Amino acid sequence: MGILLAKRYEEIGHEMGAVGRMKLAMLTKMTSGAAEKAEDSASNLKLIDDAILQLRKAV
Amino acid sequence: MRISTKLITITLGSAVLVTGLVTSLVVELKSVAIGYAHILQGPVQQAAEARRIQVNFLVQVQDWKDILLRGLNPEDLAKYTSQFHAQEAKVKADTRALANATDDGATRQSLNDFLADDEALSAKYEAAYDVYTTHNFDYKAADAIVRGMDRGPGEHLDNAVAELNAYAVSTAAAQRANSIRQLIILLAIVGGLFFVDSIVYCSVLFGVLKRLGQLKAVSDRLAVADIEGLRIDISGHDEIGAIGDSLKGVEAAIHELLAVHAH
Repeated sequence: MGILLAKRYEEIGHEMGAVGRMKLAMLTKMTSGAAEKAEDSASNLKLIDDAILQLRKAV
Repeated sequence: MRISTKLITITLGSAVLVTGLVTSLVVELKSVAIGYAHILQGPVQQAAEARRIQVNFLVQVQDWKDILLRGLNPEDLAKYTSQFHAQEAKVKADTRALANATDDGATRQSLNDFLADDEALSAKYEAAYDVYTTHNFDYKAADAIVRGMDRGPGEHLDNAVAELNAYAVSTAAAQRANSIRQLIILLAIVGGLFFVDSIVYCSVLFGVLKRLGQLKAVSDRLAVADIEGLRIDISGHDEIGAIGDSLKGVEAAIHELLAVHAH
């Protein structure tokens, strides 16, 4: 299951709050619920890491 | 393929078709004009030439009668003899030229028959002329030698004129039938291409309209935050697919926001 993906969501939640989680969902088209259920595959991790990087750059 | 690319391709295709149709019609029109010009310069002109030879042959016969009736003194005799021989030579030369020019076998045969009979008639005219000049202008004796002899060649000329007229009419009819056939083939090809073009255009148009309808339905639900059970299934590698993909992000964001608030 998406343990690493869910962890990324928690990290961005702590870092940027609800808005950050919302923006992450918008960029990845994947909610935190969906991330928990998804596989920690390389492509999923890259998708979420790229989105986090984009969010951090925008701050 | 992007919608804009599809629309540009269809529009360019239609433009090429219209240009091709206009060009083909111009070429066809030119071909018809050339075909009729050939008929006018060929069989029609040759039929007119045959009628002219026919008249000249009658003038030649009349010139012979002038020799007999009016050539009673040396001066008039020389004048009418000269006219007769000039007319005789002109008829023969024009007939040979027409026989060489015509493509119609029957006409050529009639003209060659006329030339053969006219050669024999010329020999008779020479014999009659000798009788006329050596027997104290005895026109009755001279006329008896050639009387009625011009009917045979005259009939050959009549036949040639009739055959050339018929040949001109049949050639024009063949040209008309050929033009109509080519026009039908051209219109069938262009019509078929336009039909295919229309099918492709309608297919693209209805596809775009259907997916725009789906996009509007999703957009309407997102506008009122009605995301329960919302499933965005708008795919494709075009502009509508890209908008559908963006809406998936919006939907996920709303879900995430609701989940955060629920916690």
